[in-house]
Amino acid sequence: MSRHAALDTFGRSGNPVFGEKFSQRGDFAGSQAMSLDGAVNKTGILLALCFGGAFIGWSNPGLMWMGLILGFIAAMYTSFVPRNAHIGAPAYALLEGIALGGISMMFESQYPGIVIQAIGLTFGILASLLFAYKSGLILPTQNFRLMLFSATAGIALLYLVSIIMSFFGSGIGFIHSNGLFGIGFSLFVVGIAALNLVLDFDFIEQGAEMGLPKYMEWYGAFALMVTLVWLYLEILRLLAKLQSRR
Amino acid sequence: MNTVFFSFIAILSLFIFFNLGKVKASQKQRNRNDRVQWGKRPWQGQKANNVSEQRDGTKIIDVTPEDVENKSEKE
Repeated sequence: MSRHAALDTFGRSGNPVFGEKFSQRGDFAGSQAMSLDGAVNKTGILLALCFGGAFIGWSNPGLMWMGLILGFIAAMYTSFVPRNAHIGAPAYALLEGIALGGISMMFESQYPGIVIQAIGLTFGILASLLFAYKSGLILPTQNFRLMLFSATAGIALLYLVSIIMSFFGSGIGFIHSNGLFGIGFSLFVVGIAALNLVLDFDFIEQGAEMGLPKYMEWYGAFALMVTLVWLYLEILRLLAKLQSRR
Repeated sequence: MNTVFFSFIAILSLFIFFNLGKVKASQKQRNRNDRVQWGKRPWQGQKANNVSEQRDGTKIIDVTPEDVENKSEKE
């Protein structure tokens, strides 16, 4: 599951659509332009849909794979057709919620209490980094973006190789191990996923400043959701590794 | 106890997100020259993107009038 999310994020970060859409600056004004309020409200709608989906997935874990596959398709569609993000993003949030519900239920049955810890930490990181970004404690630059892009691509590649190797009965052991190296790797991935949030904040902030079209609010909210889903899954894996050592 | 603590963190964080998210970023964040350039690819660096090389080897540096003024002020 986390492999899929990492690939999503990788696809989004390198998405050429960002470039095309930012060249449309200034064409839209007033109620037709992207705003911070709109992007935050739409993130709220996507979060509500994700929680709704998670409730369904928790009650019916059998729907997990359907949620994963259809969620991936919805994510790809939204990435490449941002104009229809108002359809793709809610669909992604609902379907990914169903998948997350099933996955969370599986983790919870093995390690009771782990899900609420992961949710608390995910939103805690979201709020902390938003404060750091808004106040100017973190100043993302083009080099920062390149560093994150490279790290995210590297993680995605590692997960992809791991998936391919698993088809032949092999795998990259340390990714899933609960040893110090495995926990260190998970911490690194959590760090990279968290820093991707800063880029999402910057995308939304600059989009609102430049007056991008209204549908980019959905696109910005979608980008934030993809990163949040990835971050949540990586925190869940990290906590599971830590608890399995007890 | 664990559940109450992490639930409180989640709710407080969401409250912060929905309020702080609607506020514009600080001047320090917005008024700087090295911001992320979303119109460019991640691998197109900050410095190289305003320099283009012609076929005869000459380089054209694309700068705004403000940049030129700032430079001449420093000199």
